[in-house]
Amino acid sequence: VAVLVRRLGALVLTLLVSSFVIFAGMYAAPGDPLTFLIKNPEDRTPDRVAAVRAAYHLDDSFFSQYLSWLKGVLHGDLGTSFVYKQPVSDLMTSRLPVTLTLVVMAALLFVVVGVLLGVVSALKRGTTIDATITGVTTFLTSVPNFVVALVLVSVFSVQLEWFDVAGSGEGFGDRLHHLTLPAIALAIGAFAVVSRVTRQTMVEQQSLEHVDVARSFGLPRRTVVRRHVLRNSLGPVVTMCGLIIASMLAGTVVIESVFGLSGVGSMLVESVNAHDFPVVQAILLYMVLAYMAVTIVVDLLYPLIDPRTLERSAAA
Amino acid sequence: MPASATRHRVSAGVALCAIASLTAACSGAGPSGAAADAKADVKLVDATPAAAGQLDRATWLIAKEPTNLDLSNDDANDQSDLIMANVCERLNQLEPDMSVGPGLASKYEWKTPTQLVFTIRDNAKFHDGAPVTMDDVVWSMQRNATDGNSESDEFPNVQSFAQTGPHELTFTMKQPDAVFVEALAGNAGLIQERKVVEAQGKAFGTPSSPDACSGPLKVKSWQPGTSVVLTKADGYRDPAKASKVDEITFKWAADDAIVNSLVTGSAQGAYIDTISSAARLVRSPGLTVSQGPDTRVWSYLVTERGGLADPNLRKALSLALDREGVNRAAFAGLGQPWKEPVGSGAWGYEKPTFQAAYDKLPGSPAKPSEADLAEAKKLVSAAGATKPIVVASDSSSIRNTLANALVDAAQKIGLQASIAQIPTVQYGDFYDNPDLRGQADVFMDDYYVSKSDPVGFYKNGASTSSVQWVFKDPAYDKLVLDGRAALDGPARAKIAIELAQRWADAKPWISAILSPSTVALSSKVTGVPASGSVRYYPWAADLGTKG
Repeated sequence: VAVLVRRLGALVLTLLVSSFVIFAGMYAAPGDPLTFLIKNPEDRTPDRVAAVRAAYHLDDSFFSQYLSWLKGVLHGDLGTSFVYKQPVSDLMTSRLPVTLTLVVMAALLFVVVGVLLGVVSALKRGTTIDATITGVTTFLTSVPNFVVALVLVSVFSVQLEWFDVAGSGEGFGDRLHHLTLPAIALAIGAFAVVSRVTRQTMVEQQSLEHVDVARSFGLPRRTVVRRHVLRNSLGPVVTMCGLIIASMLAGTVVIESVFGLSGVGSMLVESVNAHDFPVVQAILLYMVLAYMAVTIVVDLLYPLIDPRTLERSAAA
Repeated sequence: MPASATRHRVSAGVALCAIASLTAACSGAGPSGAAADAKADVKLVDATPAAAGQLDRATWLIAKEPTNLDLSNDDANDQSDLIMANVCERLNQLEPDMSVGPGLASKYEWKTPTQLVFTIRDNAKFHDGAPVTMDDVVWSMQRNATDGNSESDEFPNVQSFAQTGPHELTFTMKQPDAVFVEALAGNAGLIQERKVVEAQGKAFGTPSSPDACSGPLKVKSWQPGTSVVLTKADGYRDPAKASKVDEITFKWAADDAIVNSLVTGSAQGAYIDTISSAARLVRSPGLTVSQGPDTRVWSYLVTERGGLADPNLRKALSLALDREGVNRAAFAGLGQPWKEPVGSGAWGYEKPTFQAAYDKLPGSPAKPSEADLAEAKKLVSAAGATKPIVVASDSSSIRNTLANALVDAAQKIGLQASIAQIPTVQYGDFYDNPDLRGQADVFMDDYYVSKSDPVGFYKNGASTSSVQWVFKDPAYDKLVLDGRAALDGPARAKIAIELAQRWADAKPWISAILSPSTVALSSKVTGVPASGSVRYYPWAADLGTKG
């Protein structure tokens, strides 16, 4: 429990620091929000400009802008979008499900496929299968994911017409169907890392004494692999998968644009371009929060995989 | 849309396509040969052929989510206009041929040069079933004219207005104003239901709020992040113009996703903003692409930095600019080399007169001839010592092509020029930020006016204009006022043409490419206008099946 409290404290501190850094970054970025608040240059008369600047507190000092934003957040108010005039929390709740579903699908995909490929390569070490898996996954990782996305769209949506080209679908089944290609495009780069880590740790485990002992007792190979090799390899694999998922939560921007998904990532790009401070701030904070949440979950999973880590931290 | 008269568009969506085009899978400009072929198939028309039958549902793609559906709000964007054109009605109506016709008012009349009288129809109904009353009309006009409303700048010459008969609205003007009548076909003439707007308060125009209008379609739902759905309104005042589509769903996506959706048939149509992406659509079987007149033109806007302070240099650059090359490289051949800062969509009256005058405008060749270059060099030498010219570009392919073309033109006639990169997010600040303008002599933008009248654009050449910085001419300023006051079409056209000639002679902007309004349709549907009128004309009501 003490650990958890300490982690939460660190989380709050990190959020505070990162929110400040993000705010400062947006403040320092080139461009004037006014250009977007009054779109028609012919309408930007001095009176109008002054009124709009006052309404949006654009002339307040940096610190007073930051503090008033922070005060709002502490009261549960993320502010109102400059562009949409809707509460930022409404905008987030309408976009988050798409992004989260996409990441969950991609995560399931790369964990299952990646670990499976890693196990196969470890067991078939040195064979052509091993070499093929390593070669193909390395190649896929080296291709940027927007290229993968464009190829997938052109083959499976435009040529074969198996999937819709754009949109995130309505209803659960339709949404899964729409998000299949994006999830593959997002996951494909992670196959190599996950399969390689799985393969490497399994190979290491296989040469350890306890495995030799288990084998010498005449346990069937399958049991040895499952109970001794795989189980002990899980630690690094889970850590790796956690890190990848955490970065995916913040890395859906390009995929969302290519597949025409209205998710958090595409909203981030749009908001940055339109100087929509409150929205940018909220999305970046969500990304920091998501990253930290995933790493905390991984930390909590650890003792379940390997009870020794719990004893160690209790002793510490 | 908050654009009363004019607005420029900051094209942020182009950047991603620029990355994507590295892979050639992007729908951007194809090889020039293919683009030239593409052009041959595209028809320049006011509208696509009329629909024969009722269409039950359609999916229509737009570039972005509308930001707000209250058109009087500064936050509304181009997409808000495109959607709400079908939902809301104005006193006057912009027609597909860009002329101004009757809207919710069956007619108007200048009783005296300062008395403008509208006769309001008595059979119109709002979407909640309530009749359109004179109270709603007067209240709407008050709302549109209020300071802070995006349309309030259309009312400078209005002294007062009031109901003067059972169905009569009279504007008392400080002076005659022909442009005001045109503005009333746009958002300045919007009529909405007082009860609904007031009940919604600040929430009016957000996803949860109903519409307050009387057009042939009504807002059924706006699911933020997903779609906007319009359905046919019951009992539209003119049965002949009732909606031919029962339900139309708007979805938004990036350029390539729009192109792919149209190619695969998952959407029935789209107005294409980035016209180069239409090249692939033109070559697709099962799709028709139509282009119509619009006012949107890409121009080089000259700043007060000083490199191009001498009009002779601006004229020389205009003579040496390869507009045809720009059109091929950046617009896939789907634009038109253009001589003036406002497109043919502004010719809402006296069309042949404007066309003839346009044809005679000198100094802006599609492709510079030897004679043009020789004349340009002569102008340069007449200018004496020159400073190096700085051209501001950003990461978009259109601006990069335009910037390179201008540098090329400068070098051909012995001028020094270089390109400065400005972040896309900052590019729009050129209009308001003198410090930024101090860094470059020229920046590029696509500018359009929402009124189909050249006078509506050329007012920007006045000495007091906030969008040009190098041209001051008292005679021109007087013509701007005269043009506004000339109620008679031919007389106003004559003034507009003189404004165009003076502008062309001074060239505060160097114009390059007309970007026509471009619509792609599945070959099963037809009927919508192809012209820029779709900002205000209820275009979706004309969308139906082919015969």
